[in-house]
Amino acid sequence: MLLNALKKLKGLFGPKAIQQASHDPKEIEELRLAFQIKYHHFKLLLNANNKALEFMTQIEEYLRGHKFFGMTFVRSTVTQIATNVFQMINNLNQIAPHKYVQLYDKFKEIQSALNDLLTSHSLPSEGPVVMPLKEVTKEHVDIVGSKMAHLGALSNIEGINVPNGFVITSYAYRRFFESNELHEEIPRRLQRANISDLNSLFELSSELQQLIIRSNVPPDIAEEVQREVRTLLNENMKQPVRFAVRSSAIGEDTGEASFAGQYRSELNVAPEDILDAYKSVVASKYSLTAMVYRYHHGIKDEEVDMCVGVIQMLDAKASGVMYTSDPLNGNKDLLLINATFGLPKAIVDGSVNPDVFKVSKSRPPKVIKRLFNQKTIMYTCLEDEGVCRTELLGEQGLIPSLSDEEVVELAELGLKIEECFGTPQDIEWLRDKKGRLWILQSRPLKLVRQKSQRDLKVLEGKKVLLMEGVEASPGMASGPVFIVKQDADSLRFKEGSVLVIQQALPRWAPLLSRAKAVIAELGSVTGHLANVAREFGVPAIFGMTGATNLLKDGMEVTVYADLCAVVEGLEEGIGEGQESPNFMKGSSVYQTLEEASRLIVPLTLLDPDSPGFHPKNVKTLHDITRFCHEKAVQELFAFGQSHKFPERSSKQLLCQSPMQFWVINLDDGFSVESPGPYIHIEDIQSIPMKALWEGMVKVPWKGPPPLSTKGFMSILLEATQNPNLETGMNSSFAVKNYFMISRNYCSLQSRFGFHFSIVETLISERQQENYISFQFKGGAANLTRRVLRAQMVSLVLQGLGFRTQIREDALFARMEGFEMDYMLERLRAVGYLIIHTRQLDMVMNSPSDVRIYQDKLKRELRENFGIGMNNGTGGH
Amino acid sequence: MVDDEAEFLETLIKRLKKRGLEVSGVKNGQEALKVLHERSFDVVILDVKMPGMDGIEVLRHIKEEFPNVEVIMLTGHANVEVAIQGMELGAFDYLMKPMDIDELVFKVEDAHKKKILKEKKHSKKA
Repeated sequence: MLLNALKKLKGLFGPKAIQQASHDPKEIEELRLAFQIKYHHFKLLLNANNKALEFMTQIEEYLRGHKFFGMTFVRSTVTQIATNVFQMINNLNQIAPHKYVQLYDKFKEIQSALNDLLTSHSLPSEGPVVMPLKEVTKEHVDIVGSKMAHLGALSNIEGINVPNGFVITSYAYRRFFESNELHEEIPRRLQRANISDLNSLFELSSELQQLIIRSNVPPDIAEEVQREVRTLLNENMKQPVRFAVRSSAIGEDTGEASFAGQYRSELNVAPEDILDAYKSVVASKYSLTAMVYRYHHGIKDEEVDMCVGVIQMLDAKASGVMYTSDPLNGNKDLLLINATFGLPKAIVDGSVNPDVFKVSKSRPPKVIKRLFNQKTIMYTCLEDEGVCRTELLGEQGLIPSLSDEEVVELAELGLKIEECFGTPQDIEWLRDKKGRLWILQSRPLKLVRQKSQRDLKVLEGKKVLLMEGVEASPGMASGPVFIVKQDADSLRFKEGSVLVIQQALPRWAPLLSRAKAVIAELGSVTGHLANVAREFGVPAIFGMTGATNLLKDGMEVTVYADLCAVVEGLEEGIGEGQESPNFMKGSSVYQTLEEASRLIVPLTLLDPDSPGFHPKNVKTLHDITRFCHEKAVQELFAFGQSHKFPERSSKQLLCQSPMQFWVINLDDGFSVESPGPYIHIEDIQSIPMKALWEGMVKVPWKGPPPLSTKGFMSILLEATQNPNLETGMNSSFAVKNYFMISRNYCSLQSRFGFHFSIVETLISERQQENYISFQFKGGAANLTRRVLRAQMVSLVLQGLGFRTQIREDALFARMEGFEMDYMLERLRAVGYLIIHTRQLDMVMNSPSDVRIYQDKLKRELRENFGIGMNNGTGGH
Repeated sequence: MVDDEAEFLETLIKRLKKRGLEVSGVKNGQEALKVLHERSFDVVILDVKMPGMDGIEVLRHIKEEFPNVEVIMLTGHANVEVAIQGMELGAFDYLMKPMDIDELVFKVEDAHKKKILKEKKHSKKA
């Protein structure tokens, strides 16, 4: 492709053009200005090109799925690519007035497709703002959230008691946000935050929650809520009624993402305070834990409508959580029941070590294991409003919270619910003071696949520091201890540490994505934090008494969750026990980026010399950038000739080199006025060209490498078959080597024998705009050898810090954003490589030659330019 | 600089001044148009989302009344449609908050250079 491009330009420049040039000073002045303007547009086009390509690379990187990102990232990246591409079209049409306006139409097509992808598709605008729980079924999940949809479904089943209540729906939520303009204000603030920095996120979280709490619920919604409340009060004439106000977000509890404990619930709320509690629960959508959780699961902020359940409050004798399978070993023949005195809050919050019952799923169920723990606290309803925490002293805490008969009754209910939903369930239950059993919540239980239990023998010869508690999440991991007692500690939490806490509170969930393992003094398998630990694949032991005293910050330990043991020292070479799960791939945020990337990233306009290289064939934004860049270079190249303007025509470079080069000065590339046909290398002041040139001439080329007969035959054969080579061979001087330069810009299109290369670079004090791009193609040997050569050069370039890509025998390399000196050093290396990798294709007999010549090139780069490099494993 | 967020405006003006630019700030579109009538400016840095007249509306007015003034749009909420609408109306660029201060300075310099070249060309023709 390069060959033809250069051939087209052949003969356009030189003495002939200069003879016909204008000498009118006014005209020359005008031409100069016109060219200056074009060059400025060219530079703006290059900057935009660079930016667009950088963002595209970023998209590709994020699509590999190892990074977390939200819709803010997707929107801002796509928007920035679109603006930069649009600027390229603008600038191209300034360089060549109105010549490429067709591109605007193509751009519009792609833009509108992107717009569709990024606009959230919402519910129909009208719907009920409240809904009595009795009327709710599973099908209402988009209106009431999954938690309330499940509860509604249960309330319709014979023999299952669910407290009365109603749901404030997603319609209400949207109206509430829109009437307070929160739907615009919140995304605006989110975009400006750095979501990976916990400190700033902490501030943002409290800011957003304040914003919501200070907003007003639209009066008609308030009225409907009050009406539902009155209905419930009328049904309970005899006693005062209090409510539990609970989150039921859309997308919550859907198996993959449990959202366990990420949102707030307000307990024992008086009727007159329901709207405040509602706002508080809605605000918890922006609690720190919930924001971090969504981010790590690739859940779109705007997809989460916060529905809220208002459920009649019951006071409890005992309560707890029941799993209808064992989540740790996937044992489906057992039910696991945790129970404590008072409200279930103590268990889900992890502030108590509950009684544990294992029950067989036989009919009738049989209790096969009981473990009675010291229950230190319990929560009960206060008479007026709220809940209170009571200490359980001595004997009191050791009394079993359930009898065997009660356990069996509960287990039967569990089996019924599991049957109803068809999958293992995580059920919150409550036994009231009259002994009646209630279901407060039921959601799918996430099972963890685990290898068989480790043998205690692995601990032999090791110093066991602690051995106690329950395995809340399986696996093993090593790391330094980091004790977190308050929020301030959590902000300092070091990635890769073993998190040690007193209580397994849900508020520590944001740390789990960065912790190696978790140890808590209090907490149970069925608590929220245990849920999240299993989701993130972080080994966890809960109920390990004395951990925060015995373990010290920075102490290196290894945690064996299945043995409930912590031993001294780091274990080398051990896996983390669980595969770290990846939630991004398959998440809706990821899918949106993937779909958008199809309109952006692929490059389909490959060959600028083919007739298909035309705006009508543009398919992606990348195509547009490619097209604009190619045409801009051509237009500038042709300017000096078409306007008979010697200053901007090509000049032959006077230098000590057997090769011939021509130079076009785009702006301020020469240090002297130069109307004649020649320019001396000394008079070049282009910073990047000088560096590139130094690299090209520093090490004398010793001629072609010694050939084996096989290599020689390969060339002969290729020469008879490759038409490109034939045309090239007709006249060895037909194609010239061109530099296009300004003070900070340089491009070199060159052809040495059958080897084509293009370098383009911008290097100035504006570090962010610096880049080097390098393309290399061709060779005289057969394709296999040329490909091997491309691979070899690619490895050397990777070692220099370039990103590289190989398509057959063509190599593309790019680097950007480093400071001037570093970029210039890299450019010298590129200059060296252009000269010294010629004809190496001929000696590429096998992959082992790749290694030999790669080492040779690296050695010479080190010896002559002082450039060290890494092993060349980077790049893609 | 036109931005309704006083704190943001103040900090940015201070930082741009440190880099040798002459900067004034106003809080809304009406004020912006008023000072443009009173004094001459090379570049306007304009927030997209402001109460009252929004950034796109202000841009439209500026480009009608002062076609040579270059406008750089700033936004806190990325939106492809608004961005392209701005560019079509003649904005020099569209940057996302929070932006790198150096990048903003470069944009201002580039926009300024474009303006100078454009003016030179017109004076030549005149």
